[in-house]
Amino acid sequence: MSGELRDRVSIIGVGCSRFGDLLATPELVGLSLQELAAIAAQEAMEDAGVDSAEIGAVYVGNAMAHSSQLPGTYSQVSKWLGMQFKAGVHFEAQCSTTNVGAAMAAMAIAAGVYDKVLVVGFESTLTKPKELSPYERERISSEQSWMWTDYAVNQAYSVPQGYDIFSVYNGLVAQGYCRKYGYSIEEFDHAMFELCRTRRLHGSMNPKAAVQETLEDEAKRLGYDDPYEFWTSKQNPFVAWPSRIRSLVTACDGASAMVLSRSEAARNTPNAPVELRGFGISQGDLPWYAKDPTLWPSDRIAFQEAYAMSGIQPEDVDYLHCHDCSHISGICAAEQSGYLPAGEGLRYAEQGRLRFDGDRPMSTHGGRHAFGHAWAASAGSDTYEAVKQMRGEAGKRQIHPAPHVSMIHTHGYAMISTVLVLERS
Amino acid sequence: MPESIIKRYYDGLGEGRLVARKCNKCGAYTFPPTTACEHCGSFDQEWTELSGRGSLLFVSHGIAPPPNPRFDEMAPYAYGHIILEEGVTVDAIVKDVEPTPENLQALFESAPVDVEADPVNVKGLNVLAFKIV
Ligand SMILES: [Zn+2]
Repeated sequence: MSGELRDRVSIIGVGCSRFGDLLATPELVGLSLQELAAIAAQEAMEDAGVDSAEIGAVYVGNAMAHSSQLPGTYSQVSKWLGMQFKAGVHFEAQCSTTNVGAAMAAMAIAAGVYDKVLVVGFESTLTKPKELSPYERERISSEQSWMWTDYAVNQAYSVPQGYDIFSVYNGLVAQGYCRKYGYSIEEFDHAMFELCRTRRLHGSMNPKAAVQETLEDEAKRLGYDDPYEFWTSKQNPFVAWPSRIRSLVTACDGASAMVLSRSEAARNTPNAPVELRGFGISQGDLPWYAKDPTLWPSDRIAFQEAYAMSGIQPEDVDYLHCHDCSHISGICAAEQSGYLPAGEGLRYAEQGRLRFDGDRPMSTHGGRHAFGHAWAASAGSDTYEAVKQMRGEAGKRQIHPAPHVSMIHTHGYAMISTVLVLERS
Repeated sequence: MPESIIKRYYDGLGEGRLVARKCNKCGAYTFPPTTACEHCGSFDQEWTELSGRGSLLFVSHGIAPPPNPRFDEMAPYAYGHIILEEGVTVDAIVKDVEPTPENLQALFESAPVDVEADPVNVKGLNVLAFKIV
């Protein structure tokens, strides 16, 4: 029998740094990557109520070695995480890293190899070591960061021939969605505005989010009383028509971590364990979609596998995070999962139904735009949020009632579709 | 001496040819070509060429400055989603379209439009591009 976890596995602790900028964000300024990773790991270990002796293995994720300049990541970082002499590996699945790590940990635990595994992911997309300094960092330009990030994308044919993420992940998908479902470009633009308002509202209620200013406050600060006038102004240009810059990712530095355990061995944890019921992983190289840009085969397969392994149905899902590095692609994935009806995602966004207090809440931490995106750490930040929501610990942005079943979808560049299904024990 | 599949593809573009592989097991095309069929995974493929004729379904644009410095002088350029007459989908540069919102809106409304391959040499590399016919 395949396609199942033979033993039950739970997430018993989660940790996440603030997401932001190692050169500017107060909680992060001056930290090395070793220390950044340790912030998340320590929080996860304390949250789980376990100490180092109980951990069987540590899986350390980092995607962009050009900015970390820490290859051999597992052996370089383990001591900083309290994990000296533990089994482990450096791994990466790009922006799905931490959740692929959760799946790898679940497999190792369900196979009986380890009782508990620590998964850690960290990334700096904004900085690199200054010259060869062990502790000073300096800015990298946005295009430099994207060039390094794009090393993860089809280097035989796509990148050399003029690919960039913005057209293929945003503009073309947006047009495909509008054509298929009969939305005008103006309707699309307004729905993206509302969706951004929702993400930024969530970010404003999350002390760990990179961007904590609401869209309305930003508009006012920049001289606009009408936030939609701001939205359609030159302050919010098209990055890949018809997608604007505020429908996109906010690149960040950050770290996340989680402790997974055999569920049987997690009876006395300080916080309620959340069972990892199942997962699905699939990869699709470019082009990510055939004639219809709203349907991605890798997403379809990952959702199918996750539903099959976990034995749940789309109607069981109370909270969904979809990789929303591109807001329209996140909507397409949500429709693919069955959480939103096909073609209705923009209307749901327009009506505020995707807010934490709506009937189909999504990305309540603020998503990739407001919470921010630190490649290898981000999937773990999504899991962190889902676990906090399921425990009823999400503060001002708490979903009521607390979700019983959550689904977390991420796209690891380019593209590793990954889906986790979590259930409150 | 082995010849890289990748090199053969780019050399083909230099001669205006779209080099592909056709699977002997499932019959599908893999374009651009790889060692295994992208549909069924079979390594049993033969060389073929695509016509280069197709339909431009959607066209957007990338950022400037671009992530890849090869395109510094070209960016921002129109970039489209195309289906070739053999049923293969491809994302590529679309020539002679200034990527203004007005132009892209007009193309969105008139799409699909017929295109044909018209490769361009960018700083020494032959790159697939299409022109509207
Ligand atoms: Zn085949």
